[in-house]
Amino acid sequence: MAFEAIIGLEIHIELKTKTKMFSSAPVRYGDEPNTDVVAYDFAFPGVMPTVNEGAVICALRLCNALHMDIDRELHFDRKNYFYSDLPKGYQITQRFRPIGRNGYLTITLDDGTEKKIELEELHLEEDTCKQLHSYDCTLIDYNRAGTPLIEIVSKPDLRSANEAMKYIEEIRSIVSYLDVSDGRMEEGSLRCDVDISIREVGSSEYGTKVEIKNLNSIANVEKVLNYEFARQVQCLETGEAILQETRRFDESLKQTVGMRSKEDSVDYKYYPEPNIIPIRLSDTFVDRAIASSNELASSKLKRYTEQGLNHYDASILIADKDTSIYFDQIVENGVSYKLAANWVIGDIQSVLNRDNISILEFPVSPKQIAEIIARIEKNEINNKQAREIFAKLYEDRSLSIEDLSKAFNQGMINDVSDLRGLVNEVLDENPQSVTDYLAGRDKALGYLMGQLMKKTQGKINPKDANEILLEELLRR
Amino acid sequence: MKDYLHLTMEELHTAYVEREVTPLEVVKLCLEACKKDTNNIFEYLCEKEAISEAEGLIEPEEDNVFWGVPYCLKDNFSTKGIPTTGSSNILADYVPVFDAEVYHRLKEKHAILIGKTTLDELAMGGTGTSGHLGKTFNPYDPSHEHMIGGSSCGSCAAVAAGLVPFAIGSDTGDSVRKPASYGGLVGFKPTWSRISRYGLFPFAPSLDHVAYFTRSVKDAASLTTLLSGRDEKDATSSEQPVKKYNTLLGGSIKGLKIAVIDEILKSITDHDVLAAFDKTCEILRSKGAIVSRVHMDAELLRAIYPTYIIISCAEATSNNANLDGLKFGPRESGNTYEDIVTNTRTKGFSTLIKRRFVIGGYSLLKENQQDLFIRAQRCRHLIVDAFNKLFDSYDLVYLPASPSCAPRFDEKNDNLSDLYLLSDNYLAFANFGGYPSLTLPIGFKGNLPFGGNFTGRIFEEETVLNVSHVLMDEMPYYNLYYKEEVK
Amino acid sequence: MKPVNKDMLKDVAHSLMFDMSEEEYALLEEEFQTILKQMSLIHEIKGVENVEPMTFPFVVYSSYLRKDVPSDTLDKDEALGNAKDVVENQIRIPRVIK
Repeated sequence: MAFEAIIGLEIHIELKTKTKMFSSAPVRYGDEPNTDVVAYDFAFPGVMPTVNEGAVICALRLCNALHMDIDRELHFDRKNYFYSDLPKGYQITQRFRPIGRNGYLTITLDDGTEKKIELEELHLEEDTCKQLHSYDCTLIDYNRAGTPLIEIVSKPDLRSANEAMKYIEEIRSIVSYLDVSDGRMEEGSLRCDVDISIREVGSSEYGTKVEIKNLNSIANVEKVLNYEFARQVQCLETGEAILQETRRFDESLKQTVGMRSKEDSVDYKYYPEPNIIPIRLSDTFVDRAIASSNELASSKLKRYTEQGLNHYDASILIADKDTSIYFDQIVENGVSYKLAANWVIGDIQSVLNRDNISILEFPVSPKQIAEIIARIEKNEINNKQAREIFAKLYEDRSLSIEDLSKAFNQGMINDVSDLRGLVNEVLDENPQSVTDYLAGRDKALGYLMGQLMKKTQGKINPKDANEILLEELLRR
Repeated sequence: MKDYLHLTMEELHTAYVEREVTPLEVVKLCLEACKKDTNNIFEYLCEKEAISEAEGLIEPEEDNVFWGVPYCLKDNFSTKGIPTTGSSNILADYVPVFDAEVYHRLKEKHAILIGKTTLDELAMGGTGTSGHLGKTFNPYDPSHEHMIGGSSCGSCAAVAAGLVPFAIGSDTGDSVRKPASYGGLVGFKPTWSRISRYGLFPFAPSLDHVAYFTRSVKDAASLTTLLSGRDEKDATSSEQPVKKYNTLLGGSIKGLKIAVIDEILKSITDHDVLAAFDKTCEILRSKGAIVSRVHMDAELLRAIYPTYIIISCAEATSNNANLDGLKFGPRESGNTYEDIVTNTRTKGFSTLIKRRFVIGGYSLLKENQQDLFIRAQRCRHLIVDAFNKLFDSYDLVYLPASPSCAPRFDEKNDNLSDLYLLSDNYLAFANFGGYPSLTLPIGFKGNLPFGGNFTGRIFEEETVLNVSHVLMDEMPYYNLYYKEEVK
Repeated sequence: MKPVNKDMLKDVAHSLMFDMSEEEYALLEEEFQTILKQMSLIHEIKGVENVEPMTFPFVVYSSYLRKDVPSDTLDKDEALGNAKDVVENQIRIPRVIK
């Protein structure tokens, strides 16, 4: 019997806003505990929530990117439960009217086909405190309390661990491109809960759903889902009942273990938040938020290939948002996409790898790179010279490309008749190679070109030199 | 020396401007009287703070009626550096780190906070008996057998006893307007969202109002002018323009349409109350108002109280879920987080509060929500629709504020009777619809005062204040407070 | 709606993180009978199911959103001054088993 997995994901994304969802405390990471707090975050009696415009803008952009219906009236609700990381004893969320509904995103499967994953809803809420567990106590830090979160709930459209991973990767790319979140699972800015059930392939019925909480890396998602899939298959094959329950992944046991069954599930006693009256978002506000949002990876990929890049190069460029931004800042200056891509993927990437720095730390500006490329395009310098200029700039970005190019241009043999004379000198000095070439051995051309370079100390334009060399060879 | 302790705010202001007396002198008089309090009014007396503030007040500000005026705040308003307990043991040692907007505005005007007044625990009560300091007494009854009512019992008693010219309270069902009736005071709550609730300990935010006790309508109007208006810290606070209400008093009430709800009036059996009420209706008519008996669906009116209980208790459960002993308040010991919180809350809340929390929690359970909480919210809608319809034809609703004078502490109610459900608890309709509503003294039963209540359309504070001012002018109850010689 | 009984009330109390004495539960059970009778008044009202639940006293909307600009924060003394068990600027509780 063959089984397939039915998987739905709930993804929580921590937003990169400057302040918290309902308070004006700064959102910062790595600060001293309990310093990024105002009265609201500590739930002192009498505090009241105020909705962060920045978080709403993030939500609107994300809704738009995920093709969702946007509710232009914001409503919030209370989710009531007690936990040591929940200062107020309730969380403000959007239970009854999420800001986004009915969207989708597209993932590309390993065989290259595209699959549309439908999305249930997207809503805004607030994060809990960070807890530091030691052997005998737990320490509570309220800095994280109230950080804006967006939760995206998919429909159970995913059929394998691999699809789930691709889905998470796509969400990560979108939130990162929109600059809504870092989207880093390992750092907790993207968190994932999974609902998984299994059924016989071909069946249209759903099996008993198991929820798995808090998967903390993409690699883990695959491991856990594959484990859980196998576990459920085994249950069915041995006639053991699959319980509707919440499980968690135990790192040391390398398996999922039950946390609580459905009967023990908490009644969150949801009801509308009485301290926030409905907020109407004007069309102008919504339109402006969307219009000013960043270009997504999928759209960049399309643009890059339309501009002549092959799919492989384009994919490399968009794999990292910052790299693609750097690339876009180069081509903004009107230079060729192809040359710019060669520089970014080639020379620049090598330097980044060699010195173990990120593109954000790379000192040479996109504008400078564009200037180098422009000079190559105008034949003012050749590739070798360009690389030398690039290396010098990397050491000292304040150097002038203009001056560096001029230095190369001094002694540059730009006069065609001079060049032709030098070519004939080389041909005269290497009669055997001329004979070889004329006999059809193309390799000889490379040798002659090398000799020409040596003679001129490289101060020629290779393209021009090549043309003249061919012309003169044919005359013999 | 003139009796500066017992002036209204407006009168005291005149005395300051005339330089008859200084804030320091008045504050000292006031503190002295407060220390002799026998009615169990105070949670905390701000002796040092008040004196130091008064010492700094030298040059009277002619256009600032609050300058140097002593007042009290109900102890459910957050005051930075001044203990604030909500009259609950769960906050016994809590010292806030921020100021309520109301307190902030009064401070900016140099009003002087004299004391934080006691209340029914966390404002969840109507008798002034459930705070952690015990019963608060009605100043008009030195034998201490009658209540002053709650939950703003301390604030009401402070003004009724003549200790301060005004005091701030909060009103979720009738917590200012009912005690005002028992204390012979003006008790006013403006429209919901008119005054920022930032820093007010929430009981049921959709019903909570900032409200106050004064001894004249003019003083209530001055407070409304100061405290009303948008505050960005309270997302519900209204952007409706604020008028200078204190300058809009004394106009004619000719042609004003006033509705008296027959079903509620009929449930009142106290002849003194009925007689005094009739007399005020005659005064209103003599001033040109049109006072009419109207009918409303009695079933709907009887539903006000249960609707109120369900909604307020339900909202209260989550508003007080922050009280866990971890961040503030006394913390009980325990081996686990759950033990600590459970022990803290079990010990910190009184039995009455806990029972109300269970009622609220029960109403919100998934399987009960439709039948209890949501049905109560629907019923609230029907009730508000019915009153809005009434306000289509009438400018005001006018009724006795309570079925009688202050009850005795040992008086038992039949909680299903019309007296209880209609006349004793109808005032919450003004919280349901957020209407401006004002209680003012209209008579005495023996030594004990009782009041009438005007309620008007939302954001029409001036109509409610003006009719009250006109009526007050025709009665001997201006600046009423308990004087020993009255005995 | 399930009928009210003591166990159920206990569950609700425990979910709200407090306990009561047996006498208090008994009193509460009695109180509940009155409340449910009062609630039956609401059930009898015509048209109650035909209106929307009301969360706010009147129909009101806002367009206000707080600008995403950080304000001053609490000093450590302010934030933690009321807490009873503070270690390394954090509130300490017994280890929460995850």
